[in-house]
Amino acid sequence: MASSPATAQMTTARAGRQLPTLLPVLATVGLPTLLLTLFLLLPLVLVAVYSVYSTDPITGIMQPDFTLANYERIVSSPIYRKVFLRTLEIALLCTGIALLIAYPMAYTIGALVPRERQTLLLFLVIIPFWTSYIVRTYGWIGILQSGGFLESVLSLIPGVDAGLDVLYSRPAVIVGFVHVFLPLMILPIYASARNLDHRLIEASYDLGASPWRTFLRVTLPLTMPGVVAGATLFFIATFGAFVTPQLLGGTEDLMMGNVIADQFGEAFNWPFGAALSVVMILIVVLSLALLFRFADLESIYG
Amino acid sequence: MDSAGAPAMSEFDVELREVTKHFGDVVAVDRVSLAVERGTFLTLLGPSGCGKTTTLRMIGGFEYPDSGEIYIRGVPMGRTPPYRRDTSMVFQNYALFPHMSVAENIAYGLRERKVDKATIERRVEEMLRLVELEGFGKRRPRQLSGGQQQRVALARSLVIEPTVLLLDEPLGALDLKLRKQMQLELKRIQERVGITFIYVTHDQDEALTMSDRIAVMNRGRVEQYGSAEEIFERPRTRFVADFMGAENILDAEVVQADGRSALVRVAGAQLPVRGDGLQAGQRVALVARPYRVKLLEDPAHQDALWQATVQERVYKGSSVAYLLQLATGPQLRAEVLVGAGDGHAEPGRQVGVAIDPTHVVIVRE
Repeated sequence: MASSPATAQMTTARAGRQLPTLLPVLATVGLPTLLLTLFLLLPLVLVAVYSVYSTDPITGIMQPDFTLANYERIVSSPIYRKVFLRTLEIALLCTGIALLIAYPMAYTIGALVPRERQTLLLFLVIIPFWTSYIVRTYGWIGILQSGGFLESVLSLIPGVDAGLDVLYSRPAVIVGFVHVFLPLMILPIYASARNLDHRLIEASYDLGASPWRTFLRVTLPLTMPGVVAGATLFFIATFGAFVTPQLLGGTEDLMMGNVIADQFGEAFNWPFGAALSVVMILIVVLSLALLFRFADLESIYG
Repeated sequence: MDSAGAPAMSEFDVELREVTKHFGDVVAVDRVSLAVERGTFLTLLGPSGCGKTTTLRMIGGFEYPDSGEIYIRGVPMGRTPPYRRDTSMVFQNYALFPHMSVAENIAYGLRERKVDKATIERRVEEMLRLVELEGFGKRRPRQLSGGQQQRVALARSLVIEPTVLLLDEPLGALDLKLRKQMQLELKRIQERVGITFIYVTHDQDEALTMSDRIAVMNRGRVEQYGSAEEIFERPRTRFVADFMGAENILDAEVVQADGRSALVRVAGAQLPVRGDGLQAGQRVALVARPYRVKLLEDPAHQDALWQATVQERVYKGSSVAYLLQLATGPQLRAEVLVGAGDGHAEPGRQVGVAIDPTHVVIVRE
């Protein structure tokens, strides 16, 4: 095929012009894509693949296969359903409690405190993140165990029964979760509280709405994106966690995370652990899809 | 005057008595007293930082005075919060609720007042008609232009039928043409609804166009309170004259005074003027509108108060504007009609300058 020299020249020229624009594109889109593929997509695919493998009943060694037996076991067993429900219950309860604590904190920092002092307060919120999650959780053991800090403090109050048994219980797990993941909730709510135009609150007062009515009709709806984002982050972190129930909870407080960790660790049944993981991921993704569909975030952003 | 008797019968919608407000060490509002009659369009006019917005915000209940009292329909407001005051504010950047439609924005105050649904719908429609936004009810504020958002803010405040409508530089964000149009429209709406409007602006043209009454503010104080005409024609202080765009303000000194009239010395010439309460030796300023300044082609003319050199001559069609350098120092601007038999001169020429003393204003420093 004979191509005219003019066309060839044009093609070269165009390629020459495209080259410099290709580099920034690779750096901005390509690198994140590569990283996400390596560290998120690939592991997820691996988990999905393992979940349909089988294990040799005698040696317990994982074998490439295609079986839905692992999923059947999850669906048919009341134990796993119970643990799923318990996990959901604990995660939702903690999310609710955390919301009650995080919202006032985040709103105060973002909307009431002068800008120049916000950084310091935000810093204080983030500092605990510099310490390992496990260390922070161990800290609660010291506080909650019998003869621990909480008991010593409470025993100073006359009439309070000194015999306190909170460690290895549901309340201990809840306290641990709320404390450890609270910053995840505070930061997004802070961001939306900070962006809240104070004049809208004044306008609401001006039109006759009391502070409480103003909160319901203006402040809360306008900070809802932060609430949804914060609650989502917190819920996901709690839903999949296994360290907190393991360290602070009793046997009745074990969550899905613990069961999965056991399958990969002690039971050495990777395919079954992978199947449990897939179910967990699906539940999270589906509930998020539902949430974003019905939360009508569009209306907030206009 | 008996201030204790039957406050609810007050003929004033808003009254401020010796209202003072500090922010830290700064006195934002300094012993301001004002009485606004029902149905007045009052403008608080002044440069930024003069205390006009703080005064407005105190009337609305967003700030409380450190001392003094604000009365609305004769009732002292004290520390009554905004949601219990019968005032409503149109904010500078409109402050429309972004998560609500135009109709929901307008209905906001009515819903807080537990008005039934059918009435709300009817009132919202009425308001949309009043501000000429019929058919826009379902839109979101951000889908509207600045001028349209402005009207929604106005409708949202008017629908609750406040005793006083407060407007904080509401036209500031609009372009000049739209601003001119909205000025007239605001005035039309105010006359139609008959509510007292208190309007804050730094634009004297805007103030003159719309106001029944103007309070010129400077450094937290009301420098002058009066009709638009009074403020423009008879400024009482140099600041007011300057702020209202007076072009000729000359230092003057009272030579003698007898209570009703006085003789002042201005740039070497003596001029008899009317002037209440002037005292001999007092330092004042003389204000003369350029069209009151006469140019005499003969510098030695018997009416000439001063001799001057023509510095600039700008032909403006129906008139000619001159910049005159008086031999005794200051400069004067004159505007002389074309073809009315008045004197004219080319730049560089020596001329005589006269002012009709009945048309000058003596202001205090």
